[in-house]
Amino acid sequence: MSDRSPETDARRLATEARDRVRFEEEALALADQVYRVARHLAGSREEADDLMQEAYARAFRSWRSFQPGTNLRAWLLRILTNLNIDRGRRAQRAPETQPLEEGDYFLYNKLEESGATADEERVIERLSQDNVVGALAAVPHDFRDAVVLVDIGDFTYQDAAHILDIPLGTVMSRLHRGRRILKQQLADEALKATA
Amino acid sequence: MNGFVDPCAKCEEMLQPFLDRELSEGERALAEEHLTRCSYCRKRYRFEEHLRRFVRQAASEEMPPELRQRLATLRTPLF
Repeated sequence: MSDRSPETDARRLATEARDRVRFEEEALALADQVYRVARHLAGSREEADDLMQEAYARAFRSWRSFQPGTNLRAWLLRILTNLNIDRGRRAQRAPETQPLEEGDYFLYNKLEESGATADEERVIERLSQDNVVGALAAVPHDFRDAVVLVDIGDFTYQDAAHILDIPLGTVMSRLHRGRRILKQQLADEALKATA
Repeated sequence: MNGFVDPCAKCEEMLQPFLDRELSEGERALAEEHLTRCSYCRKRYRFEEHLRRFVRQAASEEMPPELRQRLATLRTPLF
């Protein structure tokens, strides 16, 4: 027989309120880190703001479904990513891009061949924040999501697969391709900056 | 086919998972061993590491304070 006295009900409600407050505080403490990723999953600052508010509203409503002890930042970003898809921002699939045959040493080799400078690392530093943000924005969504989660959010491949709800191998191939597209964009900008 | 594998091409393939700390111990040791004696690959690994750090810093935007306040208002009222 379950104990449903007013006293135990009150205790249960108090425990739930305490757990909810704790959850909300922990989620808010992660907002900066979530925003850093959300900013580049969304197309603009305004969209990132809207997405953050929608994601946090949903997270606060469904806090009971979070399993304590698991990765809260990944959980919040999974909600945010789903909302991003639901909002139809990705109705159009990633455009077909030219095959990129270059390897991972491509950007370094290109800068070296250009003879722009003897110190390729310095060339990178001539890029502005706008160059980088613009280059990231130019990477098609599906690829960009993987790059943003791993390179800016510092998630493992496994976490990124869970957040995006795609197989691990797909994360790896999108990450690979996304980084190459990003590097191609950055190479163009870097060479312009040294011209 | 003589089965020859260019060690620099192999090292290039391992660049991304190496920096992502996603290589197995054996693969990592293989990459590290090659890097100790190959300045061509070493320069390119160092460059990639530098590039990633730069992109991460440049892409890192602070959350606007107004947004932080708006998020706090979404909390469930206690009473």
